[in-house]
Amino acid sequence: MRHRMQGFGSFALFIGVPVIPLIVFWFIPMFVSLWLSFTDWDYISPEIHYVQLDNYVTVLKSPDFLGALWNTFFFAFWTTVPTLIIGFLLALLLRVQIKGRPLFKALIFSPWVTPMVAMSIVWSWIYEPKIGLLNQFLGWLQLPQPEWLQSSTFAMWAVIIVTVWKSVGWCMIFYCDALGKISDEFIDVCKLEGATIWQCIRKLYLPLVSPITLFLAVTLIISAMQAYDQIQVMTQGGPAGSTRTLLYLYYQMAFQQFNMGQATAVAIILVIITAVISLIQFRLSKYWVHY
Amino acid sequence: MANRRLITKAVLYLILILLAFMMVLPLIWMFLSSFKTGSEIFAQPPVWIPETFQWKNYLNAFNLAPFGIYLANSLITATAITVIQIMLSSMIAYGLTQLEFKGKAFLFQSMLLTYMLPAAVTYVPSYVILAKLGLLDSLTGIVVSNISSVFSIFLLRQSFLKVPKEIVEAARSEGANDWQILWKVMCPMSLSTIFTLAMITFVEMYNNYLWPSLIVKSQSKYLITVGLNQFFTTQGTFQNQWAMIMAVNVISVAPLLLLFFIFQKWFIKGVGDSGLKG
Repeated sequence: MRHRMQGFGSFALFIGVPVIPLIVFWFIPMFVSLWLSFTDWDYISPEIHYVQLDNYVTVLKSPDFLGALWNTFFFAFWTTVPTLIIGFLLALLLRVQIKGRPLFKALIFSPWVTPMVAMSIVWSWIYEPKIGLLNQFLGWLQLPQPEWLQSSTFAMWAVIIVTVWKSVGWCMIFYCDALGKISDEFIDVCKLEGATIWQCIRKLYLPLVSPITLFLAVTLIISAMQAYDQIQVMTQGGPAGSTRTLLYLYYQMAFQQFNMGQATAVAIILVIITAVISLIQFRLSKYWVHY
Repeated sequence: MANRRLITKAVLYLILILLAFMMVLPLIWMFLSSFKTGSEIFAQPPVWIPETFQWKNYLNAFNLAPFGIYLANSLITATAITVIQIMLSSMIAYGLTQLEFKGKAFLFQSMLLTYMLPAAVTYVPSYVILAKLGLLDSLTGIVVSNISSVFSIFLLRQSFLKVPKEIVEAARSEGANDWQILWKVMCPMSLSTIFTLAMITFVEMYNNYLWPSLIVKSQSKYLITVGLNQFFTTQGTFQNQWAMIMAVNVISVAPLLLLFFIFQKWFIKGVGDSGLKG
Protein backbone atom coordinates (compact mmCIF):
# COMPACT_ATOMS: atom_id res chain seq x y z
CA MET A 1 0.00 0.00 0.00
CA ARG A 2 2.75 2.35 0.96
CA HIS A 3 4.53 1.54 -2.24
CA ARG A 4 1.46 2.34 -4.31
CA MET A 5 1.00 5.65 -2.57
CA GLN A 6 4.59 6.47 -3.26
CA GLY A 7 4.07 5.53 -6.88
CA PHE A 8 1.10 7.82 -7.12
CA GLY A 9 2.97 10.63 -5.40
CA SER A 10 5.80 10.35 -7.88
CA PHE A 11 3.37 10.28 -10.76
CA ALA A 12 1.61 13.41 -9.52
CA LEU A 13 4.90 15.19 -9.03
CA PHE A 14 6.78 14.21 -12.15
CA ILE A 15 3.92 14.07 -14.63
CA GLY A 16 0.96 15.79 -13.01
CA VAL A 17 2.57 19.11 -12.19
CA PRO A 18 4.68 19.79 -15.29
CA VAL A 19 1.96 18.56 -17.62
CA ILE A 20 -0.42 21.34 -16.50
CA PRO A 21 1.13 24.15 -18.62
CA LEU A 22 1.44 21.71 -21.49
CA ILE A 23 -2.28 21.01 -21.31
CA VAL A 24 -3.28 24.62 -20.73
CA PHE A 25 -1.17 26.20 -23.46
CA TRP A 26 -0.89 23.38 -26.01
CA PHE A 27 -3.48 20.62 -25.83
CA ILE A 28 -6.53 22.67 -24.88
CA PRO A 29 -5.81 25.53 -27.33
CA MET A 30 -5.43 23.03 -30.11
CA PHE A 31 -8.87 21.56 -29.59
CA VAL A 32 -10.40 24.98 -28.95
CA SER A 33 -8.90 26.19 -32.25
CA LEU A 34 -10.48 23.28 -34.04
CA TRP A 35 -13.83 24.10 -32.44
CA LEU A 36 -13.55 27.84 -33.13
CA SER A 37 -12.97 27.14 -36.79
CA PHE A 38 -16.61 25.98 -36.97
CA THR A 39 -17.95 29.17 -35.37
CA ASP A 40 -18.38 32.84 -36.25
CA TRP A 41 -16.72 34.24 -33.14
CA ASP A 42 -15.40 37.81 -33.46
CA TYR A 43 -13.62 37.99 -30.07
CA ILE A 44 -15.94 40.71 -28.74
CA SER A 45 -19.50 39.43 -28.88
CA PRO A 46 -20.51 36.95 -26.18
CA GLU A 47 -22.60 34.94 -28.62
CA ILE A 48 -20.95 32.23 -30.62
CA HIS A 49 -22.81 30.64 -33.49
CA TYR A 50 -22.01 27.31 -34.96
CA VAL A 51 -21.58 27.77 -38.70
CA GLN A 52 -20.52 24.26 -39.72
CA LEU A 53 -18.05 24.34 -42.61
CA ASP A 54 -18.82 27.90 -43.72
CA ASN A 55 -15.45 29.28 -42.63
CA TYR A 56 -13.59 26.61 -44.55
CA VAL A 57 -15.71 27.15 -47.67
CA THR A 58 -15.27 30.93 -47.53
CA VAL A 59 -11.55 30.66 -46.89
CA LEU A 60 -10.87 28.05 -49.54
CA LYS A 61 -12.71 30.11 -52.14
CA SER A 62 -11.06 33.43 -51.32
CA PRO A 63 -8.28 34.61 -53.64
CA ASP A 64 -6.36 35.93 -50.62
CA PHE A 65 -6.13 32.43 -49.21
CA LEU A 66 -5.11 30.87 -52.52
CA GLY A 67 -2.47 33.53 -52.99
CA ALA A 68 -1.16 32.93 -49.47
CA LEU A 69 -1.18 29.18 -50.03
CA TRP A 70 0.95 29.55 -53.14
CA ASN A 71 3.28 31.98 -51.34
CA THR A 72 3.66 29.54 -48.46
CA PHE A 73 4.72 26.70 -50.74
CA PHE A 74 6.99 28.96 -52.74
CA PHE A 75 8.61 30.32 -49.60
CA ALA A 76 8.97 26.89 -47.97
CA PHE A 77 10.53 25.36 -51.07
CA TRP A 78 12.93 28.18 -51.85
CA THR A 79 14.13 28.50 -48.27
CA THR A 80 14.48 24.79 -47.52
CA VAL A 81 16.29 23.63 -50.66
CA PRO A 82 18.95 26.37 -50.84
CA THR A 83 19.52 26.18 -47.09
CA LEU A 84 20.16 22.44 -47.33
CA ILE A 85 22.44 22.72 -50.36
CA ILE A 86 24.46 25.68 -49.10
CA GLY A 87 24.68 24.19 -45.59
CA PHE A 88 25.98 20.93 -47.03
CA LEU A 89 28.52 22.62 -49.30
CA LEU A 90 29.81 24.75 -46.43
CA ALA A 91 30.21 21.62 -44.31
CA LEU A 92 32.11 19.94 -47.18
CA LEU A 93 34.47 22.90 -47.43
CA LEU A 94 35.01 22.80 -43.68
CA ARG A 95 35.90 19.11 -43.82
CA VAL A 96 39.40 19.90 -44.92
CA GLN A 97 41.81 20.14 -42.00
CA ILE A 98 42.85 23.76 -41.86
CA LYS A 99 43.68 26.21 -39.15
CA GLY A 100 40.91 28.45 -37.89
CA ARG A 101 38.14 26.00 -38.70
CA PRO A 102 36.22 26.69 -35.45
CA LEU A 103 36.37 30.42 -36.17
CA PHE A 104 34.93 29.96 -39.66
CA LYS A 105 32.19 27.78 -38.23
CA ALA A 106 31.37 30.33 -35.54
CA LEU A 107 31.26 33.22 -38.01
CA ILE A 108 29.01 31.37 -40.44
CA PHE A 109 26.78 30.23 -37.61
CA SER A 110 26.54 33.62 -35.91
CA PRO A 111 23.51 34.97 -37.85
CA TRP A 112 21.43 32.18 -36.30
CA VAL A 113 21.98 33.65 -32.84
CA THR A 114 20.68 37.11 -33.72
CA PRO A 115 17.04 38.21 -33.40
CA MET A 116 15.19 37.98 -36.70
CA VAL A 117 13.50 41.30 -35.97
CA ALA A 118 16.81 43.15 -35.67
CA MET A 119 18.27 41.45 -38.72
CA SER A 120 15.18 42.17 -40.79
CA ILE A 121 15.62 45.85 -39.99
CA VAL A 122 19.27 45.71 -41.03
CA TRP A 123 18.35 43.91 -44.23
CA SER A 124 15.55 46.33 -45.08
CA TRP A 125 18.19 48.97 -45.12
CA ILE A 126 20.56 46.83 -47.21
CA TYR A 127 17.66 46.37 -49.64
CA GLU A 128 16.97 50.12 -49.85
CA PRO A 129 16.63 50.75 -53.62
CA LYS A 130 18.91 53.78 -54.03
CA ILE A 131 21.48 53.83 -51.27
CA GLY A 132 21.18 50.27 -49.96
CA LEU A 133 24.36 48.25 -49.89
CA LEU A 134 23.01 45.53 -52.16
CA ASN A 135 21.93 47.80 -55.00
CA GLN A 136 25.08 49.89 -54.79
CA PHE A 137 27.00 46.65 -55.18
CA LEU A 138 24.79 45.46 -58.06
CA GLY A 139 25.19 48.85 -59.73
CA TRP A 140 28.95 48.56 -59.40
CA LEU A 141 28.72 45.22 -61.21
CA GLN A 142 26.51 46.83 -63.87
CA LEU A 143 23.62 44.55 -62.92
CA PRO A 144 19.95 45.54 -62.73
CA GLN A 145 18.95 47.07 -59.37
CA PRO A 146 15.44 45.95 -58.43
CA GLU A 147 13.39 47.82 -55.83
CA TRP A 148 13.57 44.79 -53.58
CA LEU A 149 10.92 45.30 -50.93
CA GLN A 150 8.73 47.61 -52.98
CA SER A 151 8.38 45.24 -55.92
CA SER A 152 5.86 42.44 -55.87
CA THR A 153 8.18 40.19 -57.89
CA PHE A 154 11.29 40.71 -55.76
CA ALA A 155 9.90 41.16 -52.25
CA MET A 156 9.44 37.42 -51.74
CA TRP A 157 13.01 36.76 -52.88
CA ALA A 158 14.24 39.42 -50.49
CA VAL A 159 12.47 37.68 -47.60
CA ILE A 160 13.80 34.31 -48.75
CA ILE A 161 17.39 35.56 -48.91
CA VAL A 162 17.24 36.78 -45.30
CA THR A 163 15.71 33.52 -44.12
CA VAL A 164 18.31 31.40 -45.87
CA TRP A 165 21.13 33.63 -44.65
CA LYS A 166 19.98 33.18 -41.09
CA SER A 167 19.59 29.39 -41.15
CA VAL A 168 22.43 28.01 -43.30
CA GLY A 169 24.76 28.08 -40.30
CA TRP A 170 22.39 25.85 -38.34
CA CYS A 171 22.28 23.40 -41.23
CA MET A 172 26.03 23.47 -41.66
CA ILE A 173 26.62 22.49 -38.03
CA PHE A 174 24.57 19.32 -38.43
CA TYR A 175 26.24 18.41 -41.70
CA CYS A 176 29.68 19.07 -40.21
CA ASP A 177 28.86 16.66 -37.42
CA ALA A 178 27.52 14.03 -39.81
CA LEU A 179 30.46 14.34 -42.20
CA GLY A 180 32.87 14.19 -39.28
CA LYS A 181 31.58 10.72 -38.49
CA ILE A 182 32.47 9.37 -41.93
CA SER A 183 35.75 7.55 -41.59
CA ASP A 184 38.69 8.65 -43.70
CA GLU A 185 39.13 5.09 -44.99
CA PHE A 186 35.94 5.40 -47.01
CA ILE A 187 37.20 8.54 -48.63
CA ASP A 188 40.61 7.04 -49.40
CA VAL A 189 38.93 4.07 -51.06
CA CYS A 190 36.75 6.40 -53.05
CA LYS A 191 39.75 8.35 -54.26
CA LEU A 192 41.78 5.21 -54.98
CA GLU A 193 39.08 3.90 -57.26
CA GLY A 194 39.68 6.93 -59.40
CA ALA A 195 36.33 8.53 -58.79
CA THR A 196 35.99 12.26 -59.27
CA ILE A 197 35.12 14.51 -56.33
CA TRP A 198 31.59 14.85 -57.64
CA GLN A 199 31.19 11.05 -57.78
CA CYS A 200 32.52 10.69 -54.25
CA ILE A 201 30.04 13.26 -53.01
CA ARG A 202 27.11 11.64 -54.76
CA LYS A 203 27.90 8.02 -54.02
CA LEU A 204 29.46 8.40 -50.61
CA TYR A 205 28.65 11.60 -48.75
CA LEU A 206 25.06 12.16 -49.81
CA PRO A 207 23.78 8.69 -48.84
CA LEU A 208 25.70 8.77 -45.56
CA VAL A 209 24.25 12.10 -44.48
CA SER A 210 20.74 11.32 -45.73
CA PRO A 211 19.22 10.83 -42.24
CA ILE A 212 20.37 14.35 -41.30
CA THR A 213 19.01 15.69 -44.57
CA LEU A 214 15.62 14.21 -43.72
CA PHE A 215 15.69 15.66 -40.22
CA LEU A 216 16.75 19.09 -41.48
CA ALA A 217 14.25 19.09 -44.34
CA VAL A 218 11.36 18.33 -41.98
CA THR A 219 12.37 20.94 -39.40
CA LEU A 220 13.19 23.60 -42.01
CA ILE A 221 9.81 23.19 -43.68
CA ILE A 222 7.99 23.33 -40.35
CA SER A 223 9.80 26.53 -39.45
CA ALA A 224 9.22 27.98 -42.94
CA MET A 225 5.51 27.41 -42.40
CA GLN A 226 5.79 29.54 -39.27
CA ALA A 227 7.90 32.38 -40.65
CA TYR A 228 6.52 35.65 -39.42
CA ASP A 229 9.08 38.12 -38.02
CA GLN A 230 10.89 38.85 -41.27
CA ILE A 231 7.61 39.33 -43.14
CA GLN A 232 6.16 41.59 -40.46
CA VAL A 233 9.24 43.82 -40.34
CA MET A 234 10.17 43.98 -44.01
CA THR A 235 6.94 43.82 -46.01
CA GLN A 236 3.83 43.30 -43.81
CA GLY A 237 2.72 40.78 -46.39
CA GLY A 238 2.94 43.24 -49.25
CA PRO A 239 3.37 44.63 -51.78
CA ALA A 240 -0.05 43.54 -53.04
CA GLY A 241 -0.03 40.43 -50.88
CA SER A 242 3.06 39.05 -52.63
CA THR A 243 4.72 38.02 -49.36
CA ARG A 244 1.61 37.07 -47.42
CA THR A 245 1.96 33.49 -46.27
CA LEU A 246 -0.74 31.43 -44.59
CA LEU A 247 0.63 32.23 -41.16
CA TYR A 248 0.65 35.93 -41.93
CA LEU A 249 -2.88 35.73 -43.27
CA TYR A 250 -3.86 33.97 -40.05
CA TYR A 251 -2.26 36.75 -38.01
CA GLN A 252 -4.07 39.45 -39.99
CA MET A 253 -7.43 37.71 -39.75
CA ALA A 254 -7.14 36.90 -36.05
CA PHE A 255 -5.39 39.90 -34.56
CA GLN A 256 -6.20 42.71 -36.96
CA GLN A 257 -9.69 41.84 -38.18
CA PHE A 258 -10.72 39.68 -35.19
CA ASN A 259 -12.32 37.22 -37.54
CA MET A 260 -11.51 34.32 -35.24
CA GLY A 261 -13.59 31.71 -37.05
CA GLN A 262 -11.94 32.12 -40.42
CA ALA A 263 -8.54 32.71 -38.84
CA THR A 264 -8.63 29.43 -36.94
CA ALA A 265 -9.87 27.71 -40.09
CA VAL A 266 -6.71 28.95 -41.82
CA ALA A 267 -4.66 27.70 -38.86
CA ILE A 268 -6.23 24.26 -39.03
CA ILE A 269 -5.55 24.09 -42.78
CA LEU A 270 -1.95 25.07 -42.04
CA VAL A 271 -1.72 22.25 -39.52
CA ILE A 272 -3.09 19.76 -42.02
CA ILE A 273 -0.66 20.91 -44.70
CA THR A 274 2.28 20.70 -42.29
CA ALA A 275 1.25 17.23 -41.17
CA VAL A 276 0.78 16.00 -44.74
CA ILE A 277 4.15 17.36 -45.87
CA SER A 278 5.93 15.77 -42.90
CA LEU A 279 4.18 12.48 -43.57
CA ILE A 280 5.09 12.54 -47.26
CA GLN A 281 8.69 13.26 -46.36
CA PHE A 282 8.84 10.31 -43.99
CA ARG A 283 7.20 8.04 -46.55
CA LEU A 284 9.50 9.11 -49.35
CA SER A 285 12.48 8.82 -47.06
CA LYS A 286 12.32 5.04 -47.42
CA TYR A 287 13.64 5.45 -50.94
CA TRP A 288 16.49 7.82 -50.34
CA VAL A 289 17.46 7.71 -46.69
CA HIS A 290 20.11 5.12 -45.77
CA TYR A 291 20.58 4.39 -42.13
CA MET B 1 52.79 17.92 -55.57
CA ALA B 2 53.45 19.88 -52.40
CA ASN B 3 53.06 23.05 -54.40
CA ARG B 4 49.70 22.00 -55.72
CA ARG B 5 48.45 21.22 -52.24
CA LEU B 6 49.60 24.58 -51.06
CA ILE B 7 47.67 26.28 -53.84
CA THR B 8 44.53 24.24 -53.12
CA LYS B 9 44.79 25.21 -49.50
CA ALA B 10 45.24 28.87 -50.34
CA VAL B 11 42.21 28.80 -52.64
CA LEU B 12 40.18 27.08 -49.95
CA TYR B 13 41.18 29.71 -47.42
CA LEU B 14 40.22 32.44 -49.83
CA ILE B 15 36.80 30.92 -50.46
CA LEU B 16 36.17 30.41 -46.76
CA ILE B 17 37.25 33.92 -45.85
CA LEU B 18 35.01 35.31 -48.58
CA LEU B 19 32.03 33.21 -47.46
CA ALA B 20 32.49 33.97 -43.77
CA PHE B 21 32.84 37.64 -44.63
CA MET B 22 29.61 37.57 -46.63
CA MET B 23 27.79 35.92 -43.74
CA VAL B 24 28.85 38.50 -41.18
CA LEU B 25 28.73 41.44 -43.56
CA PRO B 26 25.21 42.53 -42.49
CA LEU B 27 26.40 42.47 -38.86
CA ILE B 28 29.53 44.49 -39.65
CA TRP B 29 27.52 46.91 -41.76
CA MET B 30 25.05 47.35 -38.92
CA PHE B 31 27.82 47.97 -36.42
CA LEU B 32 29.73 50.48 -38.55
CA SER B 33 26.58 52.30 -39.62
CA SER B 34 25.49 52.82 -36.05
CA PHE B 35 28.37 55.29 -35.65
CA LYS B 36 27.78 57.25 -38.84
CA THR B 37 26.45 60.73 -39.44
CA GLY B 38 23.36 61.30 -41.60
CA SER B 39 25.41 62.23 -44.64
CA GLU B 40 27.70 59.25 -44.27
CA ILE B 41 24.66 57.00 -44.16
CA PHE B 42 23.44 58.36 -47.47
CA ALA B 43 26.83 58.55 -49.13
CA GLN B 44 27.23 57.15 -52.61
CA PRO B 45 29.49 55.18 -52.97
CA PRO B 46 29.06 53.86 -49.42
CA VAL B 47 31.33 55.03 -46.64
CA TRP B 48 32.62 52.08 -44.63
CA ILE B 49 34.43 53.54 -41.66
CA PRO B 50 32.84 56.66 -40.19
CA GLU B 51 35.19 59.62 -39.93
CA THR B 52 34.41 60.18 -36.27
CA PHE B 53 32.44 57.62 -34.30
CA GLN B 54 29.09 59.16 -33.43
CA TRP B 55 28.48 57.77 -29.96
CA LYS B 56 25.59 60.18 -29.60
CA ASN B 57 23.50 57.95 -31.90
CA TYR B 58 23.32 55.55 -28.97
CA LEU B 59 22.49 58.29 -26.48
CA ASN B 60 19.76 59.67 -28.73
CA ALA B 61 18.20 56.25 -29.13
CA PHE B 62 18.17 55.69 -25.37
CA ASN B 63 16.57 59.10 -24.91
CA LEU B 64 13.77 58.31 -27.34
CA ALA B 65 12.77 54.93 -25.93
CA PRO B 66 13.58 52.98 -22.75
CA PHE B 67 15.76 50.33 -24.37
CA GLY B 68 17.35 49.53 -21.03
CA ILE B 69 13.97 48.36 -19.77
CA TYR B 70 13.26 46.39 -22.95
CA LEU B 71 16.60 44.68 -22.67
CA ALA B 72 16.07 43.86 -19.01
CA ASN B 73 12.57 42.49 -19.76
CA SER B 74 13.97 40.23 -22.46
CA LEU B 75 16.86 38.98 -20.38
CA ILE B 76 14.64 38.32 -17.36
CA THR B 77 11.88 36.50 -19.23
CA ALA B 78 14.30 34.48 -21.35
CA THR B 79 16.22 33.40 -18.24
CA ALA B 80 13.08 32.54 -16.29
CA ILE B 81 11.63 30.56 -19.19
CA THR B 82 14.87 28.68 -19.75
CA VAL B 83 15.26 27.68 -16.11
CA ILE B 84 11.62 26.71 -15.48
CA GLN B 85 11.22 25.00 -18.83
CA ILE B 86 14.26 22.80 -18.29
CA MET B 87 13.17 21.90 -14.77
CA LEU B 88 9.64 20.96 -15.81
CA SER B 89 10.85 19.13 -18.89
CA SER B 90 13.36 17.11 -16.87
CA MET B 91 10.57 16.09 -14.53
CA ILE B 92 8.36 14.84 -17.36
CA ALA B 93 11.34 13.23 -19.07
CA TYR B 94 12.09 11.43 -15.81
CA GLY B 95 8.48 10.28 -15.55
CA LEU B 96 8.54 9.04 -19.12
CA THR B 97 11.77 7.11 -18.73
CA GLN B 98 11.71 5.87 -15.12
CA LEU B 99 8.11 5.61 -13.97
CA GLU B 100 5.44 3.17 -14.99
CA PHE B 101 1.92 4.54 -15.27
CA LYS B 102 -1.24 4.11 -17.25
CA GLY B 103 -1.51 6.22 -20.38
CA LYS B 104 2.23 6.71 -20.73
CA ALA B 105 2.20 5.75 -24.40
CA PHE B 106 -0.82 7.96 -24.98
CA LEU B 107 0.86 10.94 -23.33
CA PHE B 108 4.00 10.42 -25.36
CA GLN B 109 2.08 10.15 -28.61
CA SER B 110 0.04 13.28 -27.94
CA MET B 111 3.27 15.13 -27.35
CA LEU B 112 4.73 13.74 -30.55
CA LEU B 113 1.71 15.12 -32.38
CA THR B 114 2.07 18.63 -30.95
CA TYR B 115 5.73 18.66 -31.86
CA MET B 116 4.86 18.64 -35.55
CA LEU B 117 2.29 21.41 -35.32
CA PRO B 118 2.82 25.10 -35.91
CA ALA B 119 2.66 26.85 -32.54
CA ALA B 120 0.62 29.64 -34.08
CA VAL B 121 -2.46 27.40 -34.07
CA THR B 122 -2.63 27.79 -30.33
CA TYR B 123 -2.40 31.59 -30.31
CA VAL B 124 -6.07 32.55 -30.37
CA PRO B 125 -7.17 30.24 -27.53
CA SER B 126 -3.96 30.84 -25.57
CA TYR B 127 -4.63 34.56 -25.81
CA VAL B 128 -8.10 34.04 -24.35
CA ILE B 129 -6.75 31.77 -21.62
CA LEU B 130 -4.13 34.34 -20.64
CA ALA B 131 -6.85 37.00 -20.58
CA LYS B 132 -8.98 34.83 -18.29
CA LEU B 133 -6.01 34.32 -15.98
CA GLY B 134 -5.47 38.08 -15.93
CA LEU B 135 -1.98 37.64 -17.32
CA LEU B 136 -2.26 39.66 -20.51
CA ASP B 137 0.20 42.51 -20.75
CA SER B 138 2.50 41.07 -18.10
CA LEU B 139 5.92 39.50 -18.09
CA THR B 140 4.49 36.64 -16.04
CA GLY B 141 2.12 35.96 -18.93
CA ILE B 142 5.02 35.67 -21.34
CA VAL B 143 6.87 33.31 -19.02
CA VAL B 144 3.89 31.13 -18.10
CA SER B 145 2.77 30.62 -21.68
CA ASN B 146 6.24 29.56 -22.78
CA ILE B 147 7.39 27.22 -20.05
CA SER B 148 6.27 24.01 -21.64
CA SER B 149 8.13 22.75 -24.66
CA VAL B 150 7.70 19.36 -26.23
CA PHE B 151 11.05 19.81 -27.91
CA SER B 152 12.84 20.10 -24.55
CA ILE B 153 11.00 17.08 -23.22
CA PHE B 154 12.05 14.94 -26.18
CA LEU B 155 15.64 16.03 -26.00
CA LEU B 156 15.90 15.35 -22.27
CA ARG B 157 14.05 12.06 -22.56
CA GLN B 158 16.57 10.91 -25.13
CA SER B 159 19.43 11.91 -22.92
CA PHE B 160 17.90 10.23 -19.84
CA LEU B 161 17.43 7.01 -21.80
CA LYS B 162 21.20 6.85 -22.24
CA VAL B 163 21.86 6.86 -18.48
CA PRO B 164 22.83 3.28 -17.57
CA LYS B 165 20.18 1.39 -15.59
CA GLU B 166 22.78 0.09 -13.14
CA ILE B 167 23.57 3.60 -11.96
CA VAL B 168 19.92 4.38 -11.31
CA GLU B 169 19.44 1.10 -9.48
CA ALA B 170 22.55 1.61 -7.41
CA ALA B 171 21.25 5.01 -6.32
CA ARG B 172 17.86 3.53 -5.53
CA SER B 173 19.34 0.75 -3.42
CA GLU B 174 21.21 3.36 -1.45
CA GLY B 175 17.86 4.81 -0.49
CA ALA B 176 17.58 7.66 -2.94
CA ASN B 177 14.04 8.57 -3.95
CA ASP B 178 12.87 9.65 -7.41
CA TRP B 179 13.37 13.32 -6.67
CA GLN B 180 16.99 12.79 -5.61
CA ILE B 181 17.71 10.46 -8.52
CA LEU B 182 16.47 13.06 -10.98
CA TRP B 183 18.55 15.96 -9.71
CA LYS B 184 21.60 14.06 -8.45
CA VAL B 185 21.94 11.32 -11.06
CA MET B 186 20.02 11.99 -14.26
CA CYS B 187 20.67 15.70 -14.61
CA PRO B 188 24.38 15.68 -13.84
CA MET B 189 24.80 12.83 -16.34
CA SER B 190 22.96 14.83 -19.04
CA LEU B 191 24.81 18.05 -18.48
CA SER B 192 25.87 18.61 -22.07
CA THR B 193 22.32 18.16 -23.34
CA ILE B 194 20.99 20.50 -20.68
CA PHE B 195 23.59 23.08 -21.57
CA THR B 196 22.79 22.94 -25.28
CA LEU B 197 19.09 23.02 -24.60
CA ALA B 198 19.49 26.00 -22.29
CA MET B 199 21.42 27.92 -24.94
CA ILE B 200 18.89 27.16 -27.68
CA THR B 201 15.92 28.01 -25.46
CA PHE B 202 17.50 31.22 -24.27
CA VAL B 203 18.33 32.36 -27.80
CA GLU B 204 14.87 31.49 -29.06
CA MET B 205 13.08 33.19 -26.20
CA TYR B 206 15.23 36.31 -26.40
CA ASN B 207 14.51 36.48 -30.13
CA ASN B 208 10.83 35.61 -29.78
CA TYR B 209 8.60 38.23 -31.34
CA LEU B 210 5.14 37.29 -32.60
CA TRP B 211 3.60 35.89 -29.42
CA PRO B 212 5.03 38.51 -27.02
CA SER B 213 3.97 41.29 -29.41
CA LEU B 214 0.40 40.01 -29.18
CA ILE B 215 0.11 39.79 -25.42
CA VAL B 216 2.13 42.81 -24.33
CA LYS B 217 0.60 46.25 -24.79
CA SER B 218 2.23 48.72 -22.40
CA GLN B 219 5.67 50.06 -23.17
CA SER B 220 7.14 49.16 -19.80
CA LYS B 221 6.53 45.45 -20.59
CA TYR B 222 7.99 45.43 -24.10
CA LEU B 223 10.59 42.84 -24.92
CA ILE B 224 13.55 44.09 -26.90
CA THR B 225 12.21 42.61 -30.15
CA VAL B 226 8.84 44.28 -29.68
CA GLY B 227 10.37 47.61 -28.70
CA LEU B 228 12.78 47.40 -31.62
CA ASN B 229 10.11 46.94 -34.25
CA GLN B 230 7.94 49.58 -32.59
CA PHE B 231 10.85 52.00 -32.74
CA PHE B 232 11.54 51.08 -36.36
CA THR B 233 7.94 51.69 -37.44
CA THR B 234 7.47 54.92 -35.51
CA GLN B 235 10.82 56.52 -36.31
CA GLY B 236 10.40 55.91 -40.00
CA THR B 237 13.30 55.65 -42.32
CA PHE B 238 14.19 59.25 -43.04
CA GLN B 239 17.47 61.05 -42.84
CA ASN B 240 19.86 60.21 -40.08
CA GLN B 241 17.33 58.00 -38.27
CA TRP B 242 18.96 54.98 -39.87
CA ALA B 243 22.13 55.44 -37.86
CA MET B 244 20.12 55.56 -34.65
CA ILE B 245 18.07 52.53 -35.66
CA MET B 246 21.29 50.63 -36.34
CA ALA B 247 22.55 51.67 -32.90
CA VAL B 248 19.44 50.16 -31.35
CA ASN B 249 19.94 47.01 -33.40
CA VAL B 250 23.49 46.70 -32.11
CA ILE B 251 22.21 46.98 -28.54
CA SER B 252 19.67 44.22 -29.11
CA VAL B 253 22.09 41.87 -30.83
CA ALA B 254 25.08 42.45 -28.56
CA PRO B 255 24.08 40.31 -25.53
CA LEU B 256 23.46 37.20 -27.62
CA LEU B 257 26.50 37.59 -29.83
CA LEU B 258 28.63 38.10 -26.74
CA LEU B 259 27.15 35.02 -25.11
CA PHE B 260 27.63 33.04 -28.29
CA PHE B 261 31.25 33.95 -28.82
CA ILE B 262 32.08 33.11 -25.21
CA PHE B 263 30.41 29.70 -25.41
CA GLN B 264 30.76 29.04 -29.14
CA LYS B 265 33.00 26.01 -28.76
CA TRP B 266 30.55 24.13 -26.53
CA PHE B 267 27.56 25.53 -28.29
CA ILE B 268 28.50 24.36 -31.77
CA LYS B 269 29.68 21.01 -30.52
CA GLY B 270 26.57 20.63 -28.39
CA VAL B 271 24.15 21.39 -31.20
CA GLY B 272 26.02 18.97 -33.44
CA ASP B 273 25.96 15.95 -31.16
CA SER B 274 23.09 16.66 -28.79
CA GLY B 275 20.94 14.05 -30.47
CA LEU B 276 18.74 16.87 -31.74
CA LYS B 277 18.12 14.92 -34.89
CA GLY B 278 16.21 12.29 -32.97
